[in-house]
Amino acid sequence: MKALVTGAAAGLGSALTNSLVSDGGSVVAIDRDALSGGEKIAPLVADLSDRASVDALLPRIVAAGPYDFVVHNAGISATGPFEQIPEEAYRRLLTLNAETPMVMTAALLRAGSLARGAHLVFISSLSHATGYPGGAVYAASKDALAVYAKSIRAEMRRRGIHVMTVFPGPLRTGHAERHAPPGARAERRMEPPELARRIIRAAHRRRRVLYPGPQARIGRVAGFLAPGLTTRFMRRNIFEKLDRTVY
Amino acid sequence: MSGLPTALITGGTSGIGLALAHRLAGTHDLFLTGRGERTGLPKDAGFIKADLSMPGEAADRIEAALRQADVGALSKLVLNAGTGTYAAVGAEDAAMIRRTLDVNLAASVLLAHRLAPFLEAGGGRLVLIGSVAYKGSGNMPAYAASKAGLAGLARSLRAEWSGRIGVQIIHPGPTRTPMHEKAGYVPGRLERLFFPADAMADEIARLMETDRPRATVMIGARLRRLLSGKAS
Repeated sequence: MKALVTGAAAGLGSALTNSLVSDGGSVVAIDRDALSGGEKIAPLVADLSDRASVDALLPRIVAAGPYDFVVHNAGISATGPFEQIPEEAYRRLLTLNAETPMVMTAALLRAGSLARGAHLVFISSLSHATGYPGGAVYAASKDALAVYAKSIRAEMRRRGIHVMTVFPGPLRTGHAERHAPPGARAERRMEPPELARRIIRAAHRRRRVLYPGPQARIGRVAGFLAPGLTTRFMRRNIFEKLDRTVY
Repeated sequence: MSGLPTALITGGTSGIGLALAHRLAGTHDLFLTGRGERTGLPKDAGFIKADLSMPGEAADRIEAALRQADVGALSKLVLNAGTGTYAAVGAEDAAMIRRTLDVNLAASVLLAHRLAPFLEAGGGRLVLIGSVAYKGSGNMPAYAASKAGLAGLARSLRAEWSGRIGVQIIHPGPTRTPMHEKAGYVPGRLERLFFPADAMADEIARLMETDRPRATVMIGARLRRLLSGKAS
């Protein structure tokens, strides 16, 4: 089993890489930061928020394929009052979170690098269900990614490829720590290895969407039943507590 | 200046944007952005040449043009410009995806960012023109994604800006505009079911007078127009 994981150096990407390897797979692991390889891990360094870097990477990932398991995991955020974050940060965020997974998917499909029976996993966000005041462009990018995955699902199924979208709530990672308001309770966040296991299990069950854990399931239901109220709740509990901009 | 409130419409030189410009012409000072063609614009409307496929440059030009015209406040910012390619996932390529996301999503983010102070000064409202495709479309995945991105932006910004700047998103159903042809889609006889751009602009102008955070203009609007004897 050959896998491709983006954002593989830390957090969920690192946990996914380890899980896939311990399941007997080999992983092409992409990150902006160099990561140590190994017998089963082939690292590739690329800045996925930069178009030239993505274009240079595409032939290399095609050459290292075909893949049975692809996870578009790399993501960055930008939190704080919308107007106070520089435009350049928004450009990079939209490229990394939304554009690059789409460009990579199109390239892999056109090159025949997705094996029949492959799982194609997109890591969106629970913000798809709740909105994210104080992270409006992040929310936009994750909604775009979720709807892209939904849009290609039927055509991919015809080609024997399974598409799954994951909507995780807050994780216990350095990334989440940096973007959370002060006083947010880290112990309620899911550990990356736990989420990695859930993702791999759900993919093998050919689930279409995964809202992992009770927090995500509650967020999904709340956002569905009372979207306006849920987003206002997010404003009170996140936006109004943010004491800094982070991007 | 005439003392009327000021509205800026991107993609205001054709399709829904141009029809909307004619609706707002009597009640607003207008600025319309487009890539070049400027025939049939309402008299007195200001034209700003800007190509939203280069979002940063376009935002620079639009902001500079407003300042040069001594405009410091906007009542309506209608981000209407849109593009897309009719191609399923196996036919989309990087250039198509990037262009669609740049024009529809990145340019909207940058313009909302750049012109937020103008909206705040004018007690104004950001109006995003989405699409009924925002829930997903197998025939235009990147386009659907870009419009979903606008929906997510609208939802979060509306909560964030609550009490300061209004945010509304309107999702038009299929409309007879040059976009379909540019996207490489030939609707054929189906086009008779599409909204004329004028009728769509009517509905959008009407919705812009309401406080609805989001609205979809589809069959309900067709029926209401039919029953009330309006052209559709």
